[in-house]
Amino acid sequence: MCLIVLPVAACGTSPAAEHHDAGLRVGAIPDQDPQKLQRMYDVVSDYLEADLGTPVEYVPVRDYAAAVAQFERGDLDLVFFGGLTGVQARARVPGAVVVAQRDVDERFRSVFVANTAAGLPPLGGVADLARLKGHSFTFGSDTSTSGRLMPQFFLDEAGVGLDAFTGEPGYSGSHDATIKLVESGAYQVGALSASVWDKRVAEGGVDTSRVAEVFRTPPYHDYHWLARPDLDRRLGAGFTDRVRAALLACDGGDDREKQVLELFAAGGFTAARAEDYAQIEAVAGRLGLLR
Amino acid sequence: MTLATRPPGELVGCRPTGAVPRRPGPRRRARRWWLLACAAAVVAAALPAFAGGTPVVRVEGLGQLGEFFAAAAHPRLDGPFAALVAGSAATTLAYAVLGTAVSLVIGLVGGVLTSQVWWRVDAPGRRVRDVLAWGAARLAFVVPRGVHEVVWGLGLLVVLGRGPVVAVLAIGIPFGAVTAKVFAELLDEADRAPYEALLAAGAPRPVAVLHGLLPAALGDLLSYAFYRLECAIRSATALGLVGAGGLGTELLDSFRALVYGEMWTLLYALVVLSAVADGWSTAVRARLAGPRGRPDPLVAGSVVLVPALVACSAWWVRLDPSVLWDDRSAHQALVLARQSWPPAAGEGGIAGLVRLCGTTLAMSVLAVAVAFVLGALLALPAAALPQLDRTGAARLRRLPAVLLARSAMLLLRAVPPPVWALLALFAFHPGVVPGAVALGAYTAGVLGRLMAEAVDNLDGRPLRALGALGASRGGVLCYGVLPAAAGRFAAYGLYRWEVTVRETVVVGVVGAGGLGVVLQHQLNSFHFDRAAATVLAVVALTAVVDLVSAAVRRSVR
Repeated sequence: MCLIVLPVAACGTSPAAEHHDAGLRVGAIPDQDPQKLQRMYDVVSDYLEADLGTPVEYVPVRDYAAAVAQFERGDLDLVFFGGLTGVQARARVPGAVVVAQRDVDERFRSVFVANTAAGLPPLGGVADLARLKGHSFTFGSDTSTSGRLMPQFFLDEAGVGLDAFTGEPGYSGSHDATIKLVESGAYQVGALSASVWDKRVAEGGVDTSRVAEVFRTPPYHDYHWLARPDLDRRLGAGFTDRVRAALLACDGGDDREKQVLELFAAGGFTAARAEDYAQIEAVAGRLGLLR
Repeated sequence: MTLATRPPGELVGCRPTGAVPRRPGPRRRARRWWLLACAAAVVAAALPAFAGGTPVVRVEGLGQLGEFFAAAAHPRLDGPFAALVAGSAATTLAYAVLGTAVSLVIGLVGGVLTSQVWWRVDAPGRRVRDVLAWGAARLAFVVPRGVHEVVWGLGLLVVLGRGPVVAVLAIGIPFGAVTAKVFAELLDEADRAPYEALLAAGAPRPVAVLHGLLPAALGDLLSYAFYRLECAIRSATALGLVGAGGLGTELLDSFRALVYGEMWTLLYALVVLSAVADGWSTAVRARLAGPRGRPDPLVAGSVVLVPALVACSAWWVRLDPSVLWDDRSAHQALVLARQSWPPAAGEGGIAGLVRLCGTTLAMSVLAVAVAFVLGALLALPAAALPQLDRTGAARLRRLPAVLLARSAMLLLRAVPPPVWALLALFAFHPGVVPGAVALGAYTAGVLGRLMAEAVDNLDGRPLRALGALGASRGGVLCYGVLPAAAGRFAAYGLYRWEVTVRETVVVGVVGAGGLGVVLQHQLNSFHFDRAAATVLAVVALTAVVDLVSAAVRRSVR
């Protein structure tokens, strides 16, 4: 066993690093191609480390609830949360600071896609979502803002409760799984992030003769970077502002910045305020997702 | 009856299946009634899904299913990815080894404390106090046993934060509780004359157990410990699905983006890892079951290797147990306790919980039925039947079929249930059925392996007699193997039923997940008090299933 393990250990893929209080611990769950970001995390930590001059450790995060729990416990200092999970994290960690968001997060949208055999025409407005009643329906991941929270919000607006569907709604677990399940006909309708949908269609990864977009929601704010309130105390006064500056400065000026932006599927980072997420907060509260 | 075939949790009073004449009269009638009851349960579970005119199978989705299996021929094999897979495999193995080690410690202490022999509850001069203490000790292990590893993982994560300790304890605690149950049964079964003699001579109870009882049961305990290791690999994978690291985590990442080529590389790695663990465990257990007395080099070597493996694993995952007595952990434990107590039923109240229990139960019954049929179908060709083919040439002829069936079962149990669930949705309409098929496929891999082992350990004499009388191979299977192995098959199936109830927690995608999906929603929205109520419902359901299954097992024995 030792003989097998030793050479592999040199590759540095060991899962857990020891707890040290010196550096910044960063985590992220991206909305697209999560496996790419999780396996190329050095790019992000290297960028921040060079800019901040502080050791930065990237902590791979896979589970939304786990990320919130680790942020609350103080195992993560800076996390790229989804809209809903960010709001959940702020509810559990009073004083947490909204640092920045991606340019694409200011105008995030969800799409409703339908299996063509379901015979649904393109819908004109939110009220038209009432036509989805009686169809089978799947969300994406349980705590995804664009794959679950906002779609459910707009369904609610149109007077479509979760019991209006045929059978119980599914929770596919990811945007790609939602596309696949609707394409196969397992569910007639599904909701997912518009940016993932656009990307998959552009790549030719979707059989558009079998699954088509029927509705695009109005825009809302989504992903954002959230920092723990004790960051300045732990790593020096003004540290949170320096983190914000480092993120905002990432504009694709060199190769490393290009790589970072590519990983996050963004054109750049912009400043964000807690108020931007008031709508998500209200929706999450109404749907019982906030505690 | 060899030890190798003993189902976990079904160890007291096992008798050789072939050697004891069937008892006529009431037992046989009871058996028939139980069989009818089982069939009725399966029908009742399936009825709501198949009645009502809605179709169940989705022919049009089969293409997508084919797409996934076609990718099996094109796994991603480039250097960086292979390195990632190798490192993840080591992590999964390390978690499995460390989790098993913790479970053995818990199992040994808990096994002694929950055994009848320790409290002397079956001795003539038993005291009420001892009987009560024995009952309390047994009760204490019901909750940890009924909670799935993944739920343990999420709870521990809140308290202990990220780190390998979480994964190790998430495997170690529930496995420890199961091991305690089995160890208690093994200790009660062991020859207790030396123990009684030591007690009579005035030795304190711990000393009497150490010197009088443990040596007699050691072979059985070791055998079960090695069985646990191969189960732990599957659990380590499931834990990876909540981000603990290792092959399961990488598989989840590739699964979320549906990159089939990467998924297959990871699945192959899991198959290899499971095959090695299975092979090792089976070999050790076969030697342990053989004639005792002389030290066996394989067993001795394995026992020496295990501590080294534990040390390497702790180093590889950088195990840091200091988090257990950390102030922050204590604080978080308090926070979690405050938020989860008292348990509160979610929307729908108690009635809603009962309804969800019904869905969960239906899914588990159907899953076990699927697993039983599929497992038996694979177990028969997978069994090597060494009793029949005594020449090397005859065994060689059967080898391709044996290998094929065994690889199929390996694959079935290597693919985690959530992945099976997504695949099942391509072939079945959402509801209880795809959930049952997903859990059934996975369980068939486990069950089939146990069944094949049972067939291999049958008494060879009646089988050879049938062959000598001119029966064909099929005839020998139908009239020799099946009747002799049926009781054992049923016992294994009933045992897995309890496990499957817990396992329903991890298939959320299917659109009728019962308690599992609700539990995930509650954990994701931090309603820990509701989650506590749901967990208690799962525990209660597991306990009921355990009681029923034990009653049926007693009657088919």
